[in-house]
Amino acid sequence: MALLQTRGLTRRFGGLTALDSVDLALGAGEILGVIGPNGAGKTTLFSLIAGSLRPTAGEILLDGQPVTRLAAHRRVRAGIVRTHQIVRPFANLTVFENVVVAAMHAHGGVAGHARDRAADVLELVGLADRYDQSPGSLTLAGRKRLELARALATGPRVLMLDEVVAGVNPAEALAFAQLIRRVRDGRGVSVVMTEHVMPAVMSLSDRIIVLEHGKRIAEGAPRDVVSDPRVIAAYLGSEAPAAGEAVP
Amino acid sequence: MTAPPLIPRATARAFVAVCAVLAALPALDLSLYNHNLLTRAYILIAAALAWNWMGGFVGQVSFGHAATFGVGGFVAARLILDLHLPPQLCWLAGALAAGVFALGAHPLLRLRGPYFSIATIGVGEASRVVFTYWEKFTGGATGLSLPIDADFQYQLYWWALGLAAAVAAASVVIRRSSFGLRLLAIKADVEAAADVGISATLYQDLIFMLSGAVVGLCGGISASYASFIEPGDTFGFERSIGFVLMAVIGGIGTALGPVLGAAVFVLVDTTLLASYPELHLGLYGVLLIAIILFEPLGLTGLGRRVMGRVARRARGPKPAEGRA
Repeated sequence: MALLQTRGLTRRFGGLTALDSVDLALGAGEILGVIGPNGAGKTTLFSLIAGSLRPTAGEILLDGQPVTRLAAHRRVRAGIVRTHQIVRPFANLTVFENVVVAAMHAHGGVAGHARDRAADVLELVGLADRYDQSPGSLTLAGRKRLELARALATGPRVLMLDEVVAGVNPAEALAFAQLIRRVRDGRGVSVVMTEHVMPAVMSLSDRIIVLEHGKRIAEGAPRDVVSDPRVIAAYLGSEAPAAGEAVP
Repeated sequence: MTAPPLIPRATARAFVAVCAVLAALPALDLSLYNHNLLTRAYILIAAALAWNWMGGFVGQVSFGHAATFGVGGFVAARLILDLHLPPQLCWLAGALAAGVFALGAHPLLRLRGPYFSIATIGVGEASRVVFTYWEKFTGGATGLSLPIDADFQYQLYWWALGLAAAVAAASVVIRRSSFGLRLLAIKADVEAAADVGISATLYQDLIFMLSGAVVGLCGGISASYASFIEPGDTFGFERSIGFVLMAVIGGIGTALGPVLGAAVFVLVDTTLLASYPELHLGLYGVLLIAIILFEPLGLTGLGRRVMGRVARRARGPKPAEGRA
C-alpha cells in the first residue's frame, strides 16, 4: 500500500480550478518529483497535503487512513511535513531554537529529547556551528538548510520540499541533492519535491508527475517524462517542437 | 549540549533579595503615602506582566484587558458582599471568571495584528457598557462599596507584593520554557508554526486565559484595596491603554520589562497627575514616539544597550553582542 495517497484532490479558488482531481501515490522510501510550469498547481498540491488549505473535493490518505480533515499541526504529528518555497524561519528565535521548537512536537517529545534531536538534525544539514545565530544572519542557502532542518526535526515520514534548491548556486544545489538523498537513505523518509531546477529533480526523483493547469498530464520515470510530447507542449507551447530540441 | 537552567541562580538570588527588602519595608519606616503607592504599583506590575504574556510573547496586542480586570474585580466584590467568603477565595473566583471570560474571546484569535487589537477595543467597550447598565450586579454607575477593615487593607501590601513576585517569576519561567518558545514561534509566523506541529489555537487560548485570569486577580485585589469598585473606571478604555503603555515603556515581549514600565507609570501618574492633569498624557505620547523611533524594547532595551556599552568598555575592544 502506498504511504501517501491522494484521490481526486481538487481545489477551486472562486472560478479558478487550481488543482483538478489529482491522484497520486507515494511509496515508502520513494522520492517523487512534481514538476510543471508556473501556476500548474504544485504549491496548491503541497498546501492541501500539508493541511494549510482545505480541498474542495477529494481525499488524502496516510497509510490508508484519511487525514483530509486533520488540521495542519496534527498532520505534522501524523508524519507529514512541508517546507516553504519562500523560507519562513522564526526570526525572533536562534537557529537552534528554531529547530528545537519543531522537534518538541515530534511524537509528543520531551524538551530534553527535543534538544538532542535538534542538535542531531543541525549536524545533518551542516548548520552545527550556527546554533546561536539569528536566522537573518544566514545566507539564503543557509536559511533553506534551516527550513529543511526544522522539517526534519519533526520526525516526518513524508517530507514535502517546495523548491528547496531554487535560488541557490549550483554547488549548493548539488549539496542539497546529496542531502535529500541522505535523508531518504539514512532515515527512510519518503520525499515529495517540486523543483524548477531540472537537473536536481531529474537526478533525484525515482518517479515524476507533471502538472499543468491543475491536472496531472504525465507520470513516469524521469527519462520518459521529459520526452513525453504532452510535457514538452506544456513547457514550450503546443506547436510541436523540432525533433531533438532540448527541454528546459 | 546541556539545557541551561530555567532561571540562573544569581538572578534568582537577586530576585529573592529584592522581594525580601520590599516585604520588610513597612516594618521599617514607610509612610502611608508610599505604602499606598507601592501597593498600587504591585497590582499594576502583576497586571502589566500578565498583559505582556499576550501582547509581548504571542504578539497579540490587546486593548481590552480592562474587561478581564473588571470581571475579576466585580465577581470578587459580589462574592465578598453577598456570601461573606474570605476575600482571597473571592479573588480566586474572580480570576477564574476572568479567565473564562478571556477564553470567550476565542473567536477574536482568528484575527492577528491590528485587526485583533481593534476587535479587543470593541469587546472592552462593550463589556464596559454591559456592566455599567447591569445595575443588579455592579451597582451601576455608583458602583459597590466593600466592607474591608483597615487592618486587612494594610496587609494587602504583602498580598499584592506576593502576587507581583509570583507573576514576575512566572513570566521568566514561561519566557524561557518550551511553552514560551512555542509562543514566540506563533508570534513570528502562525502558519509556519502550524507547519512544524504547533497548534496556534491551543497555545493562544491557553495564554489568553492565563493572562486574563491574572489580570482578573489584580482586579479583585485592587477592588478590595480601594474598598470600592465602579464599572466606568474599572472597565475604562484608559485602563486598557495603561496596560499597553506599561508593557511598551518597559519593553514589550521581554520577561520583566513591564515591571519597569508599571513603576514609571505609577510614578508619572501620581507625581504629574496631581499637579498637571493634562501633562501626563502628553508625556506618554512623547515616550511612545521616542520608544517606537529609537528603542522598540523600551527601557529594557535601553538598559541592555547601556550595559553592553559598559561591559565593552570594561573588557576592552572585544565586541560583546547581546541577543534580544
